Amino acid sequence: MQSVIRAESLRFAYTRVPVLENISFDVKSGDYVGLIGPNGGGKTTLLKLLLGLEKGSGEIFLFGTPLEEFKDWHKIGYLAQKSPVSQSRFPISAEEVVLMGLPSRRGAAVSRAELKEVYAAMQQTRTREYAGRIFHDLSIGQQQRVLLARALVSKPELLILDEPSTALDASSREMFFDLLGELNSKHGVTILLITHDTGEVGKYISKFMYVDKTLVFFGTKEEFCKSDKVAQKLGAFAQHTIDHLHNHGHCPLGCSCGEEHK
Amino acid sequence: MIGEFLSYGFVQRGLVAGSFAAAACALLGVFLVLKRLSLIGDGMSHVCLTGVAVALLTSTNPVYMSVPVVMLSSLGIMKLTQKFKIYGDAAIGIVSAAGLSVGLMITAFAGGFNTDLLGYLFGSILTVARAEAVLCGVLLAVVLAGLLFFYRDLTSACFDEPFACTRGIRAGAVNTALVMVTSVAVVLAFKVVGIFLISALIIIPPVSALLLSRTFKQVLWLAAGFGVASVWLGVYLSFVFNIPSGATIILVNLLFLAGSYVYSKWGVKDAR
Repeated sequence: MQSVIRAESLRFAYTRVPVLENISFDVKSGDYVGLIGPNGGGKTTLLKLLLGLEKGSGEIFLFGTPLEEFKDWHKIGYLAQKSPVSQSRFPISAEEVVLMGLPSRRGAAVSRAELKEVYAAMQQTRTREYAGRIFHDLSIGQQQRVLLARALVSKPELLILDEPSTALDASSREMFFDLLGELNSKHGVTILLITHDTGEVGKYISKFMYVDKTLVFFGTKEEFCKSDKVAQKLGAFAQHTIDHLHNHGHCPLGCSCGEEHK
Repeated sequence: MIGEFLSYGFVQRGLVAGSFAAAACALLGVFLVLKRLSLIGDGMSHVCLTGVAVALLTSTNPVYMSVPVVMLSSLGIMKLTQKFKIYGDAAIGIVSAAGLSVGLMITAFAGGFNTDLLGYLFGSILTVARAEAVLCGVLLAVVLAGLLFFYRDLTSACFDEPFACTRGIRAGAVNTALVMVTSVAVVLAFKVVGIFLISALIIIPPVSALLLSRTFKQVLWLAAGFGVASVWLGVYLSFVFNIPSGATIILVNLLFLAGSYVYSKWGVKDAR
C-alpha cells in the first residue's frame, strides 16, 4: 500500500524541553487513524508539524514527497479544532469560506464549475442551506460543518482533523462520523483524526496512534486493546475502557478483542 | 464657493493625491484591521519622524528618505513577532518608541523643530507637489493590481492563516508584502494628514465599512469610499473655516464612523 504520511525521528521544542521527540510512523493509503493522548501530549503540535505549520527536526513525507517539496495541497483536507473567526466580524459568506478549500487561482471571479463543487461539498455536510449566510452569524456547530465542507471541497485523498466534533450536537456528530466513515470505506480517503471520544469513533477507526510527548503506540485497534504498554500508559482512560467492557460486555473500540477482555 | 475652491491648482493636487493615498490606506487597512495588525500603521508613522528628521538635516526629500527607514522598521516588527515570539502590539511599541526617540534626537541635534517638520507632523495636504501626487497614484495602482490579482490568497490568508498555508499559500510572504506596501502608503500619506494622524486613515475607514457591509467586497469598496470622501469633505471644510486640514479629515472620518455605528445599530433593524 502507498505511504500517505511517513514521519521519521520527529522532534519539536518551543524551548529546550521537547514537546515531541522520537516520533516515527507510516500511515498507509486507506488507513483511518485515531490520534489519541493526554492533554498537552503534543497531538495538535504533531498535526501542525505534518502540515508544515510548525518547523521541527526529522523528516516528513506526504504521498512520498518530502514536505519541503510537497505542492499537491489539494490532496489534503484540514480541519482545525477551533473556528478561525469565532470572535471577530469577518464579513464573508459560508460559500466563500468553502471556496477557499479549492486550489488557489488568480483573480476574484468564481467559475460555475467551482460553485458546483462548493455546493456539492456543502450538500455532503448538510450546510447547503447556509451558503449565502455570513459565516460569523452561524452557530459554532454550523461553522464547523461549513469548515468540514471546506476541507472536503477539493476531494482530498487525506483528511487531517483536529478534534472536529467538539462543537457539534449529537445528531451532527453522528452525521459527521458517518460521513467520515463513508469517505474512508467507499472512497478510500485516508483519515488522521485527533479524538478523545474513542468510544464514538472506535467503530470506524482501523488504527490507533497514542502520543504522549513521544510515540507510545501505533498499530491496529486489536493490537491497541492487547498492548501492555498502552494499558500501562493510559491510566484513567484504560479504567474507562475496562468499565465500559464490564457494563456492555464488548470492547468500546468495536474491535474483535471483546471476548478476550471478558 | 465650491467652484472657487476647486479652481486652485494646489487644491486640485491635494485632492487628487489625498484621494489616491486615502483609498490605498483604507484598502490596505481592511486586511490589517482584520488581521489585528492595524496599529502597525501607528508604529510606522512614528518611525517616519526619523526619516523626515534625517531628510531635513541632510536637505534631501523626506519621502525618499523615509521609505527605506519605515520599510526596515516594519521588517523589524515582523521579525520581532515571528522569530522572537514577542506579541505584535509589544513589538510595534518597541519599534515605534525607537523611531520616535531617534527622530527627536536627530531633530535636537539639528537645532530643534522648524516649520517644515511641523508641516510633516500635522499634515499639509495643500503643499503636495505634482511628483508626490503621481507617486500616490502609482501606489494606488499597485494596491489595486495586487488586490485584483491575489484577491483569493489575501482573503484566505486573512481569514484563516493556518488553513491558507495548507493550500500552499505562502502566508508569511503575503503578510510581508502587505506590511511593505503599507510602509510606502504611510510615507506617501503623511503629507495628507500628518505623521501623528496617519494611522487613522488606515484604521477608521475599514472599521466604518465593516459595520455596514455584508460581503468582503463591499468592505473594500466602502472603506476606499469613506477614505476618499473624508479627504474631499475635510479639505473643503478646512478651506471654508480656515482650520487644519489633517485634523479635519480625521474628524470627518470619525463622523462617518459614528454614522455607520448608528446605522448598523438602528438603521438595519428599521429596514427589516
